Amino acid sequence: MVLQSIMTGLLLGGIYAAYSAGFSLIFGVMGVVNIAHGELVMLGAFISYWMFTLAHIDPFISIPFSAVSLFIIGYVIQRLIINRVVDAPPIMSYICTFGIHLIIANLALRFWTADYRSITTSYCGSNLECAGLVLPYARLATFGMAVLMVGGLYLLLSKTDIGRAIQATAQDREMARLMGVRANHVYAITFGLGAAITGVSGSLVSTYFVIYPQMGLSYTVTAFCVVVLGGMGYIPGALLGGLILGVLESLTATFWSAGMSSTLTFFVLFLMLIFRPAGITGRGIVE
Amino acid sequence: MKGMKRWIVFLVVAGFFAGLMVAPAAYSADKIRFGISVPLTGIFGKAGKLVLDSYKLWAKKMNSQGGILIKGKRYPVELVYYDDKSNPGVSAKLVEKLITDDKVDLLLGGFGSSLVFAASAIAEKYKYPMISGGASSNKLFDRGFKYYFATLGKATEEVRGCVEMLKELKPKPKTVAIVGSDILFTSLACEGFKKYAKKAGFKIVHFELFPIRLQDYNSMLMKVKKKNPDVLLVGSHTLVAIKTVKAMKEIDFSPKAVAFSYGPTVPDFVKSVGKLGEYVFAASEWTPNLPYKGPVFGSAADFDKLYYKVYHRHPDYVEAAVAAAAVTQQLALEQLGLQPPYTKAKREALMKKLHAIDVKTFYGEVRFGKDGANVAHPPVAIQIQHGKVVNVYPKNVRQAAPIYPMPPWRDRK
Repeated sequence: MVLQSIMTGLLLGGIYAAYSAGFSLIFGVMGVVNIAHGELVMLGAFISYWMFTLAHIDPFISIPFSAVSLFIIGYVIQRLIINRVVDAPPIMSYICTFGIHLIIANLALRFWTADYRSITTSYCGSNLECAGLVLPYARLATFGMAVLMVGGLYLLLSKTDIGRAIQATAQDREMARLMGVRANHVYAITFGLGAAITGVSGSLVSTYFVIYPQMGLSYTVTAFCVVVLGGMGYIPGALLGGLILGVLESLTATFWSAGMSSTLTFFVLFLMLIFRPAGITGRGIVE
Repeated sequence: MKGMKRWIVFLVVAGFFAGLMVAPAAYSADKIRFGISVPLTGIFGKAGKLVLDSYKLWAKKMNSQGGILIKGKRYPVELVYYDDKSNPGVSAKLVEKLITDDKVDLLLGGFGSSLVFAASAIAEKYKYPMISGGASSNKLFDRGFKYYFATLGKATEEVRGCVEMLKELKPKPKTVAIVGSDILFTSLACEGFKKYAKKAGFKIVHFELFPIRLQDYNSMLMKVKKKNPDVLLVGSHTLVAIKTVKAMKEIDFSPKAVAFSYGPTVPDFVKSVGKLGEYVFAASEWTPNLPYKGPVFGSAADFDKLYYKVYHRHPDYVEAAVAAAAVTQQLALEQLGLQPPYTKAKREALMKKLHAIDVKTFYGEVRFGKDGANVAHPPVAIQIQHGKVVNVYPKNVRQAAPIYPMPPWRDRK
């Protein structure tokens, strides 16, 4: 029972990590707390939903489409809107991304109605049973993807030219500019990347969670908790934070009550912000 | 350019006068205008749209006969409605606007307990009777209001049929687990489940309310699974019901039966979960096969047929309750011979009449208790069989026998 609860928690943590990594990236590089983050999850989920419903394309195959579409959406949003408030006080970026959150959620509501939808594939809800543990396949896949995405992002940032340009811009924008880095372009690429991996996570969750236009905000809140726990802006922290939160919530829900699990989440968030604002690893950005 | 401008000015002025000429007609006593504040967007947007459809069907039906017949004269029906965005504050404001600004003759109820709670307080203040068919939380009836009525039973009573049905199953289930989201309506349903489960002699092995925001149900249900109840009872609305079924399949939790307070009767449910929804039970107050009939819509089956013809879908019990609310108010007006305009004195007479009314409709008997709740209406239970909502209780009117125990997930194709 304890083991099952921990496994369920780890898998849940994988989901959390998958949709929080992009949030962490965007914050780490630009210092923007993207309140419209959950909407990116929602858009990714809806892309998979429509491709499944209209063209019978499996959600796992639609992942690249979510990634590319969300990259473009992210790039454009950054270029046209967020870029104008990057240098402004943080409150401006809150207001700005909150506005984007409202616009996307309400447009989605307008076009797709408030219906609750879900994707029911043949393998939907089927699970692997081993040693008395029940492990749903779709969640195992999400876990794998989360590790891949966080690892890939980490490598991208440390090993490639664009990655170094992103890091340089994050550390010192003016200096990076003097070295010939196009800061605006780098910002937009970063936002696009963050949006793309978030879109992928949206496609992944569409296979087991319910999809509707107003689903976004709760994802934003969880992502925020995960990222604070793992360290704001420290990418591997998203994975660690996600797993810790997932296990914590699962254990509380199993051995105490589901109501206490969200209370505990916010309590931990509160403690972290007071005593360890740089996250468990101590490598997050503190302003 | 100048000529164009002049044209525009002319059009505006002409439009203004045209408006003036038309406007008084709208306020004349030749028709009855009903005001509705209803959620068309937000979390109740989907359900609110169904409620409005139901009212529109009633208005259409009445107007096809020339209107409501009162003392030998026919009064066409006009609906005046606004979207309250699922926000109680907005709902209250809109009802005030309908009464003071639009000067509607009478009101019809909206959807959602929290919204109707706010809206009915304003209706009470201005002394406008309000019969709701889309709200059932107990606290609506605890306020000592005189002008508020509901065609649905109270939330705690709605689940009675479900539990009684379970009691009669063979072999009789012994243990139940009750879970539900912590919003008012669903937690009341859980209270109702608890009350009637105790009465039926079931052993309650688990009781838990969880936050409506809870994203993942797996861990919570895993715990319930370990307690191995015969039956899982869920205080739910549509989203909770969908999430519960999906999570049960994921963690391979197969009790002998699962029953929801609300959700499976909504077409979205089967559309969304597909085959996973098979065999689930749900509380309901009305199904088209019930042997009810009355004026305006004829029998329950006639109502269903008409509804399907107009909207290409079958009505949910809430849609039926909403139409029944409109019909009940109409019958009260007809019986009293109360012609518009509806002054305060006439509205008071209507309120008194509603307290005394006892009518038979396609929805069943409508008789209001002192607190305004419909006391004449027995709850029913349904089961999803072959993707369709099928009445399984009470026994004497059921369409099919309940399928019990439901096959475990691993034995299903």
